[in-house]
Amino acid sequence: MFSNFKERFISAIAPDVPMLPNIERDHSHHHRGGGIRFGSQQLTDKFPYARPPFLQLMTPDELRASADHNVRPIIVPRDINLLPWGTGYAECVNSGKSEWNEDQGAFCRQVLSDPEQKHPDLPYTYFGIFDGHAGYGAALAASHQFHHILHEKLVDCLDLLLPRDTNESGPGGAGENGKLNPTFPHPIYFQRRVSKDELIIGALESAFFHMDSLIAQDRDRYRDAGGCTACVSLFIDGKMYVANAGDSRAVLCRRSALPVQEKDDPNDSSIAVDPLDACSYPVPFSSDHTPETERERLLNVARLKPSLLSSYYVAMEYAKRPHIKDMGQRILCRQGSMKGWTYKTLTREDLRMPVVNGEGKRSRLLGTLGVTRGFGDHDLLAINTGIKIKPFLTPQPDVQQRDLTQVVSIPDEHNEDGDYGVLVMATDGLWDVSENKAVARTVFHTLSKYPTEKHRYTMVAQELVARARGKINESGHWRLADSKAAATVDDISVIVIPVSQYYKDYVEWTKTCSKDLEQRRQQKRSAAAASTAEAQEAVNVLNGVLAEEAHVVEEEHEEVVVLETKGHQQQHHHHHLQNEDDEEDETLVVEVQTRLDQVELNEVEEDEAEAELEDGGEEKPVTEQQQNKAKEQEEKKDTPTSKRQKARKGKA
Amino acid sequence: MSYAYLFKYIIIGDTGVGKSCLLLQFTDKRFQPVHDLTIGVEFGARMITIDGKQIKLQIWDTAGQEAFRSITRSYYRGAAGALLVYDITRRETFNHLTTWLEDARQHSNSNMVIMLIGNKSDLDSRREVKKEEGEAFAREHGLVFMETSARTAANVEEAFINTAKEIYEKIQEGVFDINNEANGIKIGQQHSPTNPSLPGSGGAAGAANSGCC
Repeated sequence: MFSNFKERFISAIAPDVPMLPNIERDHSHHHRGGGIRFGSQQLTDKFPYARPPFLQLMTPDELRASADHNVRPIIVPRDINLLPWGTGYAECVNSGKSEWNEDQGAFCRQVLSDPEQKHPDLPYTYFGIFDGHAGYGAALAASHQFHHILHEKLVDCLDLLLPRDTNESGPGGAGENGKLNPTFPHPIYFQRRVSKDELIIGALESAFFHMDSLIAQDRDRYRDAGGCTACVSLFIDGKMYVANAGDSRAVLCRRSALPVQEKDDPNDSSIAVDPLDACSYPVPFSSDHTPETERERLLNVARLKPSLLSSYYVAMEYAKRPHIKDMGQRILCRQGSMKGWTYKTLTREDLRMPVVNGEGKRSRLLGTLGVTRGFGDHDLLAINTGIKIKPFLTPQPDVQQRDLTQVVSIPDEHNEDGDYGVLVMATDGLWDVSENKAVARTVFHTLSKYPTEKHRYTMVAQELVARARGKINESGHWRLADSKAAATVDDISVIVIPVSQYYKDYVEWTKTCSKDLEQRRQQKRSAAAASTAEAQEAVNVLNGVLAEEAHVVEEEHEEVVVLETKGHQQQHHHHHLQNEDDEEDETLVVEVQTRLDQVELNEVEEDEAEAELEDGGEEKPVTEQQQNKAKEQEEKKDTPTSKRQKARKGKA
Repeated sequence: MSYAYLFKYIIIGDTGVGKSCLLLQFTDKRFQPVHDLTIGVEFGARMITIDGKQIKLQIWDTAGQEAFRSITRSYYRGAAGALLVYDITRRETFNHLTTWLEDARQHSNSNMVIMLIGNKSDLDSRREVKKEEGEAFAREHGLVFMETSARTAANVEEAFINTAKEIYEKIQEGVFDINNEANGIKIGQQHSPTNPSLPGSGGAAGAANSGCC
């Protein structure tokens, strides 16, 4: 049980990072599946082209019509009840740059439940948006598979995530003020405390890597999937997490409470400044990963492994474009993760193509790719040079979190959407032509137009897409409505999530959850009463564990005293040790708690034992009696902890 | 299924006149008494035969509510036919026809065939708009007219097929530029066994031919 627990723990924190694609591919795999045997270019799709299931575009005719490049229809869910909380979604195909819409959206509601039914269930909801390039395969695969992977990762650390009794007496289980301690104790060999937050973030991160490796595995069996960005939000346990890899974006649109309207003066409302505009503001929940924003990381990869560039590129950034006529002169440059600039003498190598060229939206990695994180692209080669691009890419997401239980929202102000925010997740089709601030304005402007309608968030999504798509003019170019500027010609997909609606769900859930916990508590009490004898035995065992730890702490202190007598030159060491010692004390207390908690977790009937321990004072577990007992036991067996302590002493 | 031509239709008219029900009756031959409000646009398709030729109708069913009007306008472009629908039991839906027609004429290509439809003919007892009024409006604006019932299916087939016949005649007369897809007409591959342009449906052929059409 213990080692199993530890293993799960490790896999949650340190996911297996997939190997980079093997350049020498095994061609014998080519003929698996598919049924077509004429080489890789004739492999079939893993998933046939489709739009998100909640759009209910079932037939090839509907798919065909939805991908009309001349009209670019804005597609919204036929049945808005398919998405939770009235969440809005809208999408629109590109103007002809690729045959199909290469964006995908996905969502999933799931419940984490303990197979042994020891803890109440924990529901969660996930939304994902994937912007494909060089084909629709990767985005389609992600929309089909990512949530399954994420679920697996969350189940991996199930026992740490599930709600537990906050009133339960016992160390570690409850923190001060009877509030659930967000920090979890760790198995013996671990030195780090790990929070629920970190577990969920870890689940998201490892799911990203796993998804990428799945696409890598499939590339010999199915048609080349291309690549895609991934922007994912997860609503769990009263919190919102956003994980992003690539240049899709999540922005939380918020609004401060509207100033109270003066009813006496009706003419006041004609003032030019729209209060909605003045009060709404965007809070970015992701950052874009483009060659420009990731220049540092990319140059670092190139610097650490120059062979990746062959002799075609140079992993250097120049203040001024190097020119052949400047050969032998000094030029300002930087490389790797340098923040500042330095001089170097210009050589012929500096005239190679830079790893990152172009600026802003036009920046390109190896002159080819405009996005530097996401899934897929395992076989993508740089234009002209044929250099592999994948080593420069990573599925590693940035994850941001928001604790919704900390949001202050005054019911009288009726500003839940403003206080909790409306999360807009969209592909770059939207963001290329819309400022975050304008999006926030559109969100609240549209919501005010549809104050009670069930489909109001769908209207927001539709409005955002409509604005970004614009209108086609006489000469067949797409233009923004309010200016003559070019509208986006890319696929556009937008998810609009009313976060306050999730929070309502969450509050309901906490009520049923605490009822459930109360029931369990009662059951436990009666069970505990029935097994007093067993509990007494457990007390003895626990005392033994405590005593060992106490002894180790004591020993360390003695060591310090000895050092102190060794005169001047040891002073420094002594201070060093003293500090370390203090830290160590803390760690040990934590470890003692860990064990107690493990016992508590695993053997419910030991309730009474814990109660007794509490009486003895868990804060100061070192008692005379225990020390003596511990000294006896120390001779008999080496605990892992004491071994480590000894090693430390040896160093000193 | 292969086709000689594909015609694109758009169904327009006030909210609640039965646009989605007409489409459902035509494509699925069924009636749904309670239909959710259409948000945005929905698609339907059916194959018909005119003059011995297989013709595919691709039908865009739009939202009737005022709030969707500006988005609906962008869908006129690229439609070869339009069904302009009102409800014979609600006078105001008839009164709004002028606005709809202006919208349609302004944003569509000039050759678009418009069929005026007075729907819910089965509810004769609650009729507010006489058949003659519909006929007069159609005559005045050069539209084809027909009263239909999505519930009983009366005249539904005819409404869609007659519109197609008119488009077909216009093609024969050379009025339509059939090479410009923005006119809502596409020439199909009558002799090809599958529709190769849709990956998945065409299997391996889809992979080889994607990008065509």
